[in-house]
Amino acid sequence: MPYMAPTPDTELKKGNAELLILALLEDKARHGYEIGKLIAERSEGVLRFHIASLYPLLYRLERRGWLKGEWEPAGGRRRRFYRLTHTGRKILGEQRTRWRAFSGAVDRIVEVRHA
Amino acid sequence: MPDWKKIVREELGSLPLSNGRKDEVVEELAQQLESAYEEAVAQGINEQEALRRSLEQFKDWEKLRGELFHSVEGTRLPVWEQKGLFSPRRWPVWAALGLALLFLAAPAFRQALAILPVPGSDPTASGPRIFSDRALRRLELSGDKQRYARALAFVALHSPKEDDLRAVNAAEKAIALDPQLTWIAAKVSHATYLYPGYDPHPWVERLKAWDPENAYPYILEADANIHSAWESRWAKYNAATPDLRQALAAEPGWREPMEKAFAAPRIDAYNTQTFALDRQVLQEQGLDRPDILIVNTWAQPIPDLTAMKMYAQILLRDVGASAEKAGHPEDALAAYRSVAQFGERLQVASASVVFMQDILANRLQQEACEKMLPVLRRQGRTQEASVVEGTLAGLVQADPAKKSWPSFSGEASRKRSARIVLFSGAFVMLLALVTAAWVIFLIALKWKPDLSRALNRLASALCVAPPLLLLACAVLFLGYYPYALPIAQYTSAQDLRQSFGPFIMNAYWSLDLQFSDVWLVRMFWPSVWGAVLALAAAVLLWLLARRQRPDDTRPA
Repeated sequence: MPYMAPTPDTELKKGNAELLILALLEDKARHGYEIGKLIAERSEGVLRFHIASLYPLLYRLERRGWLKGEWEPAGGRRRRFYRLTHTGRKILGEQRTRWRAFSGAVDRIVEVRHA
Repeated sequence: MPDWKKIVREELGSLPLSNGRKDEVVEELAQQLESAYEEAVAQGINEQEALRRSLEQFKDWEKLRGELFHSVEGTRLPVWEQKGLFSPRRWPVWAALGLALLFLAAPAFRQALAILPVPGSDPTASGPRIFSDRALRRLELSGDKQRYARALAFVALHSPKEDDLRAVNAAEKAIALDPQLTWIAAKVSHATYLYPGYDPHPWVERLKAWDPENAYPYILEADANIHSAWESRWAKYNAATPDLRQALAAEPGWREPMEKAFAAPRIDAYNTQTFALDRQVLQEQGLDRPDILIVNTWAQPIPDLTAMKMYAQILLRDVGASAEKAGHPEDALAAYRSVAQFGERLQVASASVVFMQDILANRLQQEACEKMLPVLRRQGRTQEASVVEGTLAGLVQADPAKKSWPSFSGEASRKRSARIVLFSGAFVMLLALVTAAWVIFLIALKWKPDLSRALNRLASALCVAPPLLLLACAVLFLGYYPYALPIAQYTSAQDLRQSFGPFIMNAYWSLDLQFSDVWLVRMFWPSVWGAVLALAAAVLLWLLARRQRPDDTRPA
């Protein structure tokens, strides 16, 4: 699960974890290790994954048909790469819209205090 | 370089995915470990620390195993693959089941289970519930074979109404083997026996000859003399009407034996002998059941209280009143004294065991004293009058009818115990069934793990049944323990009624409780007690669970 210090709500974190993975796979296929690393790097350490939760989440999304995993050669060995399916892309769009609405609402409230 | 796949395989253990899928999962996790290790080493971290950091990514392998399976298959791990605290692969659940079964070794627990009343039946009725027809027949055959009179006497005393002939035959055989058991003739002397051609008179005569100073055979004789002729006439009268008194008084076949009954020096319905016989035979049959013993005392025939009351009224209101009017106070006093003395004998015979008999005995004495007082005062016999007055005051004070019925039922602790036993007993029964079903499911799933996903889910959920069963068994045992005396330790029917009676009667009455009675008023303290026990059990389970799984899975 990603750790988001100010938001302890489990459902929110669960939904966000899915969104993060879908978003990272939007442009290109990636393997599990890379996904974990990217979340930590791009959030500059604010968001971190329990790696133990990452793989079950990937398999769950794969079972739902949002991702497709395939073994491909990489760096002299084979890696399981995940890419978005058509359904996954549609879900990403929906989740992104919801997230924007949510974060926009939070921003508006937070900005008001500083206005 | 460590063998990453080997590490993952060992840590994950059995993961019941298809072989190809499992290999893929193992390979992917191994790559995660390997990549993290290589990255750490590349950063200049020594190999040992790099290995530790890599492995730290997966702290709780058991949780990971369950989540991987759930993610891939969309369902929980098969029940036999689970390793949770209460999964079949772990000891607590079997320990709970073993401990619950161990309760069966405790006689007090077995007795508690045996006494539980069955909803829908009348627990206070003797007969089929206690001794089935087959059991009585077996007892009779065994008594015949061993020429054991007391077993046959037991059959005579406890044969159901529809089998009067068996009772009569058993009584005949028992008395022939042991004439000291002739008192059981009182049971078969009742004129209400139904089989064709039955005549109670020979039995009554036999009893009178064996126990001539007892009033009881005469009361039975009075009833036998008028029973068939009066069967249709009883309905015409209200038991309290003077018409009935006069009609009965005009029957010499009834009046004369009743006169002898009132004149007899004692009255004995053989309660003591019946109690001793019942207790002995129950013990011999391996039935250490105070509930059966007490129900037998409830079901024991008692002398015809209506007949006694009727004859007493004849003496008090007809004979005595007529003598007073005719100016024969000594005759009136003799009639009144006769009733008072009979009342005393009746009270002694009851020994506080037969509640209705106690009431009648007290009331007869009260009425007799009330009648005697004005006669004595009119005659100026003040000393005698003051004695009678004192007696009357004592009788009024001791009137059992003015106490609650029965007086001991008000004891709150026994009510609580009865309800605890009743409700925990119901849970024990229910959870025993659920546990049995769980064991059957487990066996089926052990035999064929992929039999049914739904069955696996059900078996997983039902893993809590053995611990709950253990809890219910403990509550039942503790609730019943204060009343768990072997029947050999009850010295008399009175002792049994006073110490065990209130508890069992409250248990039986609880079957008729209204919802509000149970939950809002009477179950308050039992509920509090149950909640405390449940809380203690929950804390214990939590501590055990903590020990089983030290890894915390909080967000990083």
